[in-house]
Amino acid sequence: MTAAVATRGRESIRRIRAGPLFFLLPALVPVVLFSVLPLIEGIYLGFTDAKAGLNVDLAPNFLDNYIRLLSNDLFWQSFQIGIIWAVTTTFLQYVLGLGLSILMEQRLRFLWIVRILALVPWAIPPVIVAIMWRLVYQPDIGLLNQALRGVGIPIGELNWLADFNTAFPAVIVVGAWAGMAQTTVALTAGLKGIPIELHEAAASDGATAWQRFRHITWPQLRPVTDAIVSLNFIWNFNSFGLVYVLTEGGPGAKTMVPALFAYNEGFKYGHFGYAAAMGNVMVLVVLALLYIYLRSGRRGVE
Amino acid sequence: MKKHLRASIAVLVVAILTAACGSTTPSASPGASTAASPAAPVTLQFASFAWQKATVDAHNKIVSDWNAAHPNITVKIVTIDVNSVHDKLLTTFQGGTAADIVHDESADIGGFSGQGFLADLTPLIPAELKSDIPQGIWDTVTFGGKITGVPTILQTYSVFVNKKMLADAGVTLPTAASPWTWDKFSQVSKQLTTGDRFGVGWGLKSPAATVMSMSLNFDGKFFYNEGGKNVVKFGTAEQQVLKRIYDMAYADKSLSPTTLGQSGPEILPGFFAGKYAMIVGGNYVAQQMVEQAPAGFDWAMLPLLKGDTQAQSANPQTLSISTQSKNPKEAMQFIAYYMQANNLASVAIGDWLIPVSASAGKAVTTITGGKNSWDVNVASAPSLKIAPFQTLEAYAQWKTQIAQPGFQQYLANKIDLATLGTQLIDGWTKVGGK
Amino acid sequence: MIHRRSRQATALQYIALLGFIAFLSFPLLWMLSTSFKGPRELVALIPSLIPVSPTLENYGTAFGEQDLVQSASNSLRLSLGNAMLTVLVALPAAYGLARFASILRRLTMGWILVSQIFPLILIIIPLFLILKTLRLLDSLSGLLIVYLVWSLPFTLWMLQTYVKAIPIELEEAASIDGAGRLRILRSIILPLLAPGIVVAALFAFISGWNEFFFALVVLQSQEHFTLPLTLARFIGSEGVVRLGPLAAASLIATLPSLVFFAIIQRHLRSGLLAGGVKG
Repeated sequence: MTAAVATRGRESIRRIRAGPLFFLLPALVPVVLFSVLPLIEGIYLGFTDAKAGLNVDLAPNFLDNYIRLLSNDLFWQSFQIGIIWAVTTTFLQYVLGLGLSILMEQRLRFLWIVRILALVPWAIPPVIVAIMWRLVYQPDIGLLNQALRGVGIPIGELNWLADFNTAFPAVIVVGAWAGMAQTTVALTAGLKGIPIELHEAAASDGATAWQRFRHITWPQLRPVTDAIVSLNFIWNFNSFGLVYVLTEGGPGAKTMVPALFAYNEGFKYGHFGYAAAMGNVMVLVVLALLYIYLRSGRRGVE
Repeated sequence: MKKHLRASIAVLVVAILTAACGSTTPSASPGASTAASPAAPVTLQFASFAWQKATVDAHNKIVSDWNAAHPNITVKIVTIDVNSVHDKLLTTFQGGTAADIVHDESADIGGFSGQGFLADLTPLIPAELKSDIPQGIWDTVTFGGKITGVPTILQTYSVFVNKKMLADAGVTLPTAASPWTWDKFSQVSKQLTTGDRFGVGWGLKSPAATVMSMSLNFDGKFFYNEGGKNVVKFGTAEQQVLKRIYDMAYADKSLSPTTLGQSGPEILPGFFAGKYAMIVGGNYVAQQMVEQAPAGFDWAMLPLLKGDTQAQSANPQTLSISTQSKNPKEAMQFIAYYMQANNLASVAIGDWLIPVSASAGKAVTTITGGKNSWDVNVASAPSLKIAPFQTLEAYAQWKTQIAQPGFQQYLANKIDLATLGTQLIDGWTKVGGK
Repeated sequence: MIHRRSRQATALQYIALLGFIAFLSFPLLWMLSTSFKGPRELVALIPSLIPVSPTLENYGTAFGEQDLVQSASNSLRLSLGNAMLTVLVALPAAYGLARFASILRRLTMGWILVSQIFPLILIIIPLFLILKTLRLLDSLSGLLIVYLVWSLPFTLWMLQTYVKAIPIELEEAASIDGAGRLRILRSIILPLLAPGIVVAALFAFISGWNEFFFALVVLQSQEHFTLPLTLARFIGSEGVVRLGPLAAASLIATLPSLVFFAIIQRHLRSGLLAGGVKG
């Protein structure tokens, strides 16, 4: 196509189009009503002294909550746990999901089994996932210890979820297991979007599988990777249902993730304003981290 | 082809939406009648978290009996998930859609009372009901001088034993008149520990509630009022229960340390398989004994352990009336009916918990014939009383943020008693306790 | 065949496959096994995979005690509705976001991020009050709208990514050839977006199927309960869980999703072009 023809094409598209608003309209009204408005209220509460109660007046106290938060070492402890938890779990989810999606593109028998099983973590209600893994980790009747004893490892009665050293890693494994499915699905769709001609051309040039992965698959997957890793990071950072059923944040607050901490503050003790302030801090920090991650990615590719 | 597909999708969407819309019930506001004429029909919403089949059946029977006898006052049960009671109640209270009669527990209603969501029941409670329940229990539902809940059933922490193992070792069981002291308990535990079994298994994954309650055995109150301010102390009285458990686990090695990190139900397989001669847990574990123990497993629940006394803190389930209810008088009439001896007894038996009123206690003994340790259960009731921490506003936060992790660390042998004490005392200031 | 694999590579791949199968399948096996065990067998110290004395009482309890069929039906309608509505709404919106750089796109991305990061539980009460004002409490349609709105961030983000992966030259070329906007969308964009649509539909379905907290807060009457709420009835307080009936009910709660997935997977494989971009 000559340059002139290309420009004419672009102009004709712009002329036909009805503007971005037209496409976004159906989504706009319910989103504003049921998401934007509550969010604005939630964020605003972080600058007030809102408390639970009948006909309780709330007054803005601007930055007081945040000043208090600065010296709340329990909050920052849980924040640290949250970051480590989110980073590790997201990483594991990605690695496992990528491995599985690539595996599913190969020519192997019995792939149909794993195609359905890949979605099992998604299909099972989260609280059931937590209860099952709790059983797996039990020191005496749990599947894990039984399997380890079966192959001769003297694991004794290690209580994975109660031992101060193993509780956090154990919970991370469950988090990775539970979140694998959406990563696998997103990456599978991404892999399918890579033109097979690219692989064919590279293979005929003598490229190995690893080289093809590094120079074709990986760059092509980058946008999907960025999206799913960011979303996973956010979801993992925010998840607490799983952790709550497994350990309730214990032992000794070793698995107290920030979302659980903020939930306790808001719902259990009724400090709505203070809890909302924690939410605001979480938003800022996570946004900053994502910005750094996405920025570095862009520089790397170009 | 695609056009047809899109059309059928559209039809399907509309069908689903209308089906979903069709099942919409507008949220009923609690108490639909005007307050003007007492003869006008009234509907009461009764939000309950009962989940045991027998308890749910008992509730259904109470409600249907009531509805039959009172055509003008209809009670409707609203089911609440037992593990989300606080969240659900808080949301409905703040949202203004609360039920008339609210089923909760005394440890939880303190917060709601302070927040103004629960009505003052003091003028409404009938005299016979008041005198049927010990004052010590009424104290647990009195906040700021007002009674905001009617107590119903409660639990104790009790020792369960494998009778055969004890008999084989020549150990005689305690009686209500002469219960075991902690010293005796510890000694028996050592005696029963052999190469392949422990004397005791104790599921203390979440130790705070157990420790705070049983410390009353030694009058370990933790919270003391000094000149109008509440402070935390960690003296000898408070250290007793914690230290004894610690010593049994690490010094005597008669208490399985693994169980310290497990929850109550999780240690049952070990108990039934003979890994522990005794276990300690809530008295409601008797249900598991009956339903899950292997055939021929001979068990018994012992009378409460004795320190200086057998006192434990009472945390009864409660029935409250929400401030937003339009029919508090009718609501209290239903509550009084619920609390009648046979009705309360059926609820207690369903939940495997002890009824608070003397008359219901008698009814339970009659209905069960005292079997499955119900006799011990009912006899334990008088030992339950209020502990100071139960009325403190910041207690919930101190318990979750400070006490729970602290106790877990101590029992896992990560910190010593002195460090724990400092954490507990400083922690109270940290959570803004006063 | 482009790839010639060594014997070793194939062996490694099969080992990996086996590993994944084991890692992912044990919960289903556990559910299956537990659902046929009676209460006494469930406290056995050494549990066996095959129940020693199998029983059907758990299924009887699951269906008899709670209205499992009603809840399953509620959940099914909710999830299918959510899947369809989300795709219908998100598809054009994602296209608009991907193709047109505008202030709206920045706002939308901002909203997507903030709505996902800000802890959901903290906005539950404002949301509750809005639903109450609109008389949408205790209704499945109210819940459906909430699910739709909260499925949008993920689906918008993902779909937008997939749209961006389609080179704009395709559309321009077709437009030069005289095709109208709608025609371009239907015959070029839509087929290429098929995998992305599948992702969106799966996500929305599952979100509706498994969601607990919103359902807990919004729904009140037992006839409106969704599956997660009914399952929770088998989980008692103080760690007491009625494992047998819970396993039975969970199996029943899991199978429809797996069937839905299997159906969609079939479409995923057959509805796709061999490659992506047509030269």
